Amino acid sequence: MSPTKDLADLTERFLSVGHAQSPQVFAALMKGFQATMSAGCYADTAFFLRRIALPTLDYTSAQALSRVRSRLRSKIPASPQTARLAVIGSSTTTQLVPLIDFFLFAAGVDADFYEGGYGLFRQEILDPASELYQFAPKVIFLATGWRDLANRPALADARLDIVRLITAEQADWSSLWQVARERSGCQIIQNNFVLPACRALANHERRQAGSLSSYISSINESLAQAVPPFVTIHDVEHLATCWGRWKWDDPRFVHQAKLPCAPECLPDYAHSVASIVAAQLGLAKKCLVLDLDNTLWGGVVGDDGLGGIRLGQTDPEGEAYRAFQHYAKSLRHRGVLLAVCSKNNEETAREVFEKHSEMVLRLEDIACFKANWEDKATNLCRIAQELNIGTNSLVFVDDSPAERALVRKLLPEVAVPELPTDVADYIQALDRHRYFQTLSVETEDLRRTEYYRAEVSRRDAQTSASDIEGFLASLNMVAQIGPIMPDTLNRSVQLIQRSNQFNLTTRRRTAAELLAFLEDESWITRTVSLSDRFGDNGIISVILARAREDALEIDTWVMSCRVLKRTVEQFVLNHLYGLARQRGLKRIRGEFIPTAKNKLVRDHYANLGFAPVAGAQGERTLWDLTVADDSLQTTTYIREETNA
Amino acid sequence: MRDTIRREIEEVFRNVFGDQELVLQESMTAADVDGWDSLAHINLIIALEKRLGVRFATAEISRLKEDGQTVGSLLDLVEQKKRA
Repeated sequence: MSPTKDLADLTERFLSVGHAQSPQVFAALMKGFQATMSAGCYADTAFFLRRIALPTLDYTSAQALSRVRSRLRSKIPASPQTARLAVIGSSTTTQLVPLIDFFLFAAGVDADFYEGGYGLFRQEILDPASELYQFAPKVIFLATGWRDLANRPALADARLDIVRLITAEQADWSSLWQVARERSGCQIIQNNFVLPACRALANHERRQAGSLSSYISSINESLAQAVPPFVTIHDVEHLATCWGRWKWDDPRFVHQAKLPCAPECLPDYAHSVASIVAAQLGLAKKCLVLDLDNTLWGGVVGDDGLGGIRLGQTDPEGEAYRAFQHYAKSLRHRGVLLAVCSKNNEETAREVFEKHSEMVLRLEDIACFKANWEDKATNLCRIAQELNIGTNSLVFVDDSPAERALVRKLLPEVAVPELPTDVADYIQALDRHRYFQTLSVETEDLRRTEYYRAEVSRRDAQTSASDIEGFLASLNMVAQIGPIMPDTLNRSVQLIQRSNQFNLTTRRRTAAELLAFLEDESWITRTVSLSDRFGDNGIISVILARAREDALEIDTWVMSCRVLKRTVEQFVLNHLYGLARQRGLKRIRGEFIPTAKNKLVRDHYANLGFAPVAGAQGERTLWDLTVADDSLQTTTYIREETNA
Repeated sequence: MRDTIRREIEEVFRNVFGDQELVLQESMTAADVDGWDSLAHINLIIALEKRLGVRFATAEISRLKEDGQTVGSLLDLVEQKKRA
């Protein structure tokens, strides 16, 4: 047998033993990795290493796997997704950093790291000549703990004095973040503070404002409320709560090695940090695809009938299925798309959603419904296509190991979590992966399923319309276009992070960078929101451009694929043309950088009447449009709404 | 018993130091094992605890990395804990 085939079997075996990972199975797996490495099968090694990168790994296994990752580093082609991450703080980062690197690698990111001197984070941020700034990070992770709080109350302090301390503490951290951003233009990930398990005041701790727990809680609250857009609070306090505070702390390793938490919790901690960095790069998943029989309810509706499936208050297992549906619904409420992919007759499957009184999920929660007898890989591709997202944005949940194996084999880019045999454990099994990590929640998220459903109505209208012009005119489209504002900053960042197909340059500009552009007069930032007779689409496009010499250079142009072919591009171009004219610029310079996913816009500038410019490097292309004295009147069916 | 423990410890060493050919001798010290620094020491302790189901006290963790300590001293300590 080939080493790769061996490794495939060993990986499946390791995954199927789950939490009861036996040392023998793991030792065999490590030998499997060594064999593929020695045989030079680096791509296969990387593939299976990614499969196995779970947040539930124990410390020793995770460290061993992270060493395989570091040996692979020079052997496989560089990933197009990169990160420069500085980890500075008050605990040792030596054990943490390889694990963050390992989980970022699993998410498809090549990361470079800087580790600050132990406990020197303030000096490194304040000293403009520090190694931190020489490293030029894109992201700084402040891995701090409550012992770093500079202002601490005395137990007897009056409430008013404590409020003053909280304000001072908040100001201290805010000014550190501000200095770091001004000097490096980077995003910041800031730990909040873990409440200690031990309490001097026992049960009374929370009632006394000057107690350590009360004070830390207040600081956490204050940080969460006052955080600027370029800072993400890493909720390490939540991790500690989930693990249990006594388990989270292993004082032996604090005293011995200044570890930030018990070794067993470190992989989960690292995974949590990595998921935030990955989300900043637009790698979070977008759609949860659900099987039906034995996934959303117990039993097989085709055999057992509507009354025969187990769902709801009649039995405990039925309750557990309902709980899982509630979980899925909570994801859909925050903007994750839900889809159904089931082997069933479509009418039988839909009937459960329409008629079963215990169903939590309803048809209007499902953005795309596929119940048929074709294979699931084909259906997943269709779902991705209909929702205009990549298959790598899908998470596929199915109780059947055979279906999971098929999808993993045919569509390795789809996330397919192992599912426990007991439905009561589904929520935890799914949630721990942090597939849907998010940095902010915007109006567009809360209304996303509505947008997609309105899109279905539009498609129906389009089918009935005799010509495309008539259809576009009948939509009565109205757009607002204007600079990025404080209340649209997060959505702008999100769109820049999430857009893969309609993205001309795939520069993942961060909130910190956008803030810098807003302060710089040579930069023009624009958001476009669009509504029509079927509903409001929210903000669907972001454009960043810079005036340099006689040209307006388009740095970033992204658009939600929901509004493709609606003449938004033409509308935007007319607007940019007007801006260029106002500023006395002679041309607009477009740029296209190809990626695996943005073929859609390869001819974007050609279609808009730009002429190719010679001398671009590599696969990147440059385009010019001459700005004349009169305004540009490219045909668009969108009317501008002027009062914001 | 000592031989069983020795084999289990050897397996832990092999995983922690990423060397599947590593053979433990009782006379070995940290200097004899490639990569046995203070970081690896912590990783070793964590892995040993998990594999052997024992718990090392803070002072024991420190003592095991002092000069003059050998693989034999580690075996003595584990054996003593297993017997207790």
